Amino acid sequence: MKSWTRREFGRSTGAMVLAGLGPRLAASESKARVVVVGGGIGGATAAKYLAASARTIEITLVEPNPNYTTCFFSNLYLAGLCSLESLTHGYKTLAQRYGINVIHDSVAAVDPVAKTVGLKSGPKLPYDRVVVAPGIAFNYGALAGYDEAATQVIPHAWNAGLQTQLLRRQLESMEDGGVFVLVAPPNPFRCPPAPYERASLVAYYFKQHKPRSRILILDAKDSFNAQDLFLDAWERHYRGMIEWLPAQFTGGIKAIDVKERSVKTASETFKAAVANVIPPQMAGQFAQQNGLVDQSGWCPIDPITFESKLQPGIHVVGDASSAGDMPKSAFVANSQAKACAFAIAAALTGSERKSPHLFNTCYTFLSPDDAVSNAISFKPAAGTIKIVDNFVSQVQESAETRHRAAREAQSWYTAFTRDTFGYAAF
Amino acid sequence: MIAVSVAAGFLMILADRGQAADRDDGAKLAAMCTSCHRLDGGDGSIPTILGMSPEMLTRAMLAYRSRERPSHIMRAVTLSLSDEEIVIVARYLAALNKQVRP
Repeated sequence: MKSWTRREFGRSTGAMVLAGLGPRLAASESKARVVVVGGGIGGATAAKYLAASARTIEITLVEPNPNYTTCFFSNLYLAGLCSLESLTHGYKTLAQRYGINVIHDSVAAVDPVAKTVGLKSGPKLPYDRVVVAPGIAFNYGALAGYDEAATQVIPHAWNAGLQTQLLRRQLESMEDGGVFVLVAPPNPFRCPPAPYERASLVAYYFKQHKPRSRILILDAKDSFNAQDLFLDAWERHYRGMIEWLPAQFTGGIKAIDVKERSVKTASETFKAAVANVIPPQMAGQFAQQNGLVDQSGWCPIDPITFESKLQPGIHVVGDASSAGDMPKSAFVANSQAKACAFAIAAALTGSERKSPHLFNTCYTFLSPDDAVSNAISFKPAAGTIKIVDNFVSQVQESAETRHRAAREAQSWYTAFTRDTFGYAAF
Repeated sequence: MIAVSVAAGFLMILADRGQAADRDDGAKLAAMCTSCHRLDGGDGSIPTILGMSPEMLTRAMLAYRSRERPSHIMRAVTLSLSDEEIVIVARYLAALNKQVRP
């Protein structure tokens, strides 16, 4: 057991699990280098599990921001049920306990020929492999009148932080009786149930503080994820407060008028007291600029190693990847990052590569004590990733089952953020 | 009782595997568990996976797989594992617990 602790992992038992991984090579061997671009869930998890699975790999994580605020659970913040600080995580444990070189900078470009990652501040980091986890970018051009400047008036709040704070302030200062208009994006987008969870939790907030207010969801789609569970919950908890209009009813969303705070559809124009426009999405800017994206707007990958099908030696995990049946969720990013880390460690150290276990679990709040969950397992098949099993909460579940799921969700948040960043903020 | 003897039978499967192979595969499989379960003993509303013998853990996972214990999340997880993998991860977690709490 002595060999497990050659690297200093501290006293964390979580670290001990990881320290059991990886071939035990002599410390004198020269180190392979992996650069991880992006410190969200996918990037942070990949860096941590790479560090733990092979001590002979030198890992650098490049992330411009000093902290990461999770998008998951940020709808609870919008409802006034938790602070933004409690959803914010730093990189100290990854640096100190796992020996990851964390650099707060932006990446200018990857040079796949010289095999270097160039930082905005100048230095070029040599690499053997790169893991890219840039998350999502917004396709502003798709919605007339809505661009980056418009987000300061009508937030998307689809990256957690200042945008989420802005939307919360607008909801707080909205008069009772106002209409909150939420524009839901076309598929695929980050976290399929999240716009509808947002509507549910904002409705909860209205019910407590602004009971005459209403929510209007203008959807780019004709149906949405777990629709039966949401429609049932809206009837039980928020009768008459939430109206959902599918694209087939409105004829589709045509334009946003920032000055008037209104949304124009093919059939009519809807004026909002507070508006939240979640634009169509594509792989993060870095992926767009470095040749990792195909005509779909997302990054095609090998379903076992997550290596880009367009740029050898560069792996893409998380929301930016185009991974068959896998939805764009934090849990999926974490699951993909582990599979990718194990595959890279195997390739760089010459150890045996195993087929990955890929999962998704999502907890979704319908009210603070009514939550549902799903659990999906996936496997690589025929060049892509297919669903093996898919279990979802049922409409007729007891209140006790739903309470339990809500309590579980809170525990899950702590475990999951520890798994990713090495510790939880609360 | 059937579940007990089935679990014991599964544990026999791995009698000939090397310890190092068990540990590396176990750690990779356990990485799946840590997306939801904490390994510092505090799990709140999610049942802990520390403090159990390999037999108990194996039995619990088999019960989730057969729906004897209800949890659609654990059913998806256990359905994706082979019998052998269930035993490997159970052994790994039990050994880990011995290290954590001597």
